[in-house]
Amino acid sequence: MPKPTPAGAPAGREPRMGERQSSSLADILADARVWKLKDASATPARPVWSTGCGALDARLPGGGWPTASLIEVLLDDTGFGEVQLFLPALVACQRRADPGNTRSNSTSAGNAGSGGTDEASWLVWIAPPHEPYAPALAQQGIELGRLLVVRPPSAMEALWAAEQALSSGVCAAVLLWLKGTDDRWLRRLKLAAEAGRALGVLFRPERHRFESSPANLRLAVTQGEHEMRLDLLKVQGGRPGPVDLGP
Amino acid sequence: MKSRAAISQTADLFAATAFAPVLAPTTASEPMAMPAPTALLEPRSASRPALESLRAAGIPPAPQTAEPPRARQLWHAVVFPELVGDAHSTIMLQRLSLSAQQFTSFVSIEPPNALLLEIRGSVKLFGSLQTLLADIDAAWRRLALRTCAATTPSTLAALWLARAGKRIHTEDSRTLSGHLAELPIACTAWDIDRLQTLRAMGVTRMGELLRLPRAGLARRLGPATVLDLDMALARQAAPRRAFVPRERFWERCDFETEIEHAAYLETALDPLIGRCAQFLRERQAGVLALELRLRHRVGPATRLRLGLASITGERRRMTDVLVQKLSGFKLPAPVRGMELKSGSLQPLSAGSLDAFAGGGAGGQDGPSQLVERLRARLGEAAVYGLRSIPEHRPEAAWQRIYELRLVSARRLGERRLDQMPRPVWLLDEPVRLSEPQAQPLNQSTLILEQGPERIESGWWDGKDVTRDYYIARQIHGARRVPGARLWVFQERRSRCWFVHGMFA
Repeated sequence: MPKPTPAGAPAGREPRMGERQSSSLADILADARVWKLKDASATPARPVWSTGCGALDARLPGGGWPTASLIEVLLDDTGFGEVQLFLPALVACQRRADPGNTRSNSTSAGNAGSGGTDEASWLVWIAPPHEPYAPALAQQGIELGRLLVVRPPSAMEALWAAEQALSSGVCAAVLLWLKGTDDRWLRRLKLAAEAGRALGVLFRPERHRFESSPANLRLAVTQGEHEMRLDLLKVQGGRPGPVDLGP
Repeated sequence: MKSRAAISQTADLFAATAFAPVLAPTTASEPMAMPAPTALLEPRSASRPALESLRAAGIPPAPQTAEPPRARQLWHAVVFPELVGDAHSTIMLQRLSLSAQQFTSFVSIEPPNALLLEIRGSVKLFGSLQTLLADIDAAWRRLALRTCAATTPSTLAALWLARAGKRIHTEDSRTLSGHLAELPIACTAWDIDRLQTLRAMGVTRMGELLRLPRAGLARRLGPATVLDLDMALARQAAPRRAFVPRERFWERCDFETEIEHAAYLETALDPLIGRCAQFLRERQAGVLALELRLRHRVGPATRLRLGLASITGERRRMTDVLVQKLSGFKLPAPVRGMELKSGSLQPLSAGSLDAFAGGGAGGQDGPSQLVERLRARLGEAAVYGLRSIPEHRPEAAWQRIYELRLVSARRLGERRLDQMPRPVWLLDEPVRLSEPQAQPLNQSTLILEQGPERIESGWWDGKDVTRDYYIARQIHGARRVPGARLWVFQERRSRCWFVHGMFA
């Protein structure tokens, strides 16, 4: 399985190409912090879920949100359509009822015994800023019978609940809204997402933009002229930068 | 060699046909006309007059009919005269019936002071009726209880005989009326009114009562009396409910030293949970609730109640929930000992007994484990599901669900685009925009993008709404920077604008 991260790489840091301008190309390539795009773009390591937006899909390695990973969304307000970015993927991963659809090629041998495909279709929304409106979700095709809303009393409990849900192997996706959290917890969430083969989405305020983050994918959502503006801050195996969502 | 079942079947068949002339009066409307036997006979010899009458009727007896037809049930009644019918004796009876369950699985409690045991099936197990009765008697003697017992094919007859102190043990239902004849009517434990009416009629013994015409008896004393008599003579089935003990797991353990941190309790808890799981497995049962009591040197015990999302007897799930509960718990005082108590036992469904089902050895959880783990730490109300309700008023079109059906059949959501898009977030209460009863909002802070969708409903329950809904874009400041997309409505009566949701 080709993995974009070279062994021993400090996962929390972005490669900064401008840092060693004096060294040769070989030196740069030898640096553990440099991603080798060739490896990553060969075949996607994980199954992906389409974002429902062609322009965004084209910018993501594999053409969609990676599963079994942590995605960090930075935004300061709500109402930009940030949940809408994930709804098509949530619907798709709830519907992966047909066994062998996406999981057959991955390392799902551990789950196969427990009838995983049917069970791993739960969605958990932890600490959403407002009440998720059931008719809207049903309208989009979400199966409400397999959706859990969790309202933890504190941010710590929210992180704990997210870790439990991600690693349980029951959930297709876990969405978590937080005011802020530290790097250590993000790492735990990422490991839990990988262990439970779930899609973890963390919504955080934009002030964390310049902190390092172990998330597999980071994006910032701001309000553009007409539609929302999307900036890919970190893409493992892809190219960061603003996304032209287009009409 | 003929199988035993075949023999008893033939015997039953014979009873149904050949004995018909003899037993005919019992099914007729005047069963009291049946002649009472002149002598009390042992079951074995009781067949002789019957055989003679058969021979007289010209019916040759089959070779298997040497024994009388065996009643399907045999009831052993035990009366404990020392019990007086108070609360204490109720508990005593329950304990005694537990002890009686070593002889038969069917024990019925007969208030105020008697037990009924169905022992037909046990006779063979214990060798013979005599051995069985001796064993039962010995059991009461060991408890130093005074008893009086009787055994008949009929529940009421056994009970009445035992109450009257007649130690009669018979397997033949035809001798019942003879046995009962001598009993005082008080042994029926009927209500005082009925007994006084009977005494006023000059009836003091059961024999006199049995001789009374059936129709008149039913008219004077009610059909219940006649029914009781029929039951006593085994003409009517007298259903009884078996006593089912209410079992729980309850075990305690004491520590040699006091434990101050909840984390150390987990180790001590492990064997306790193991025994609880074993207890449940033996009974093929599960529980929905557990209670852990932590005992301290002073002060009352700390009680931790744990709810499980579905019935379980699985050790791993119970450990999970208990450990989760303890991990978020601060001990009020050092713990000297603890007790684990199960809720009432629930039968496990066949599906959950399957050792290979999800959550077995593989370490993968089912959804219910996740829910109960979350609830154990965050509280019941913090984890819920959502439901969409077909209703026009947006605020009434959804509901929280706390009783999650975790194993529900898969039902895929269906995309419905017949109405205007609904927002992902719904505000708890519509927020009134500060606008004065404004006309077009388009110019100021909102751009209406889509709408209106008129919702007019609920006039029948007093919460009626008449609203025009729009999808609107918020505009910030003088530079007219667009902001969030909102779901707004204008109330048609007051012409006020409200925000009701957000398109996230």
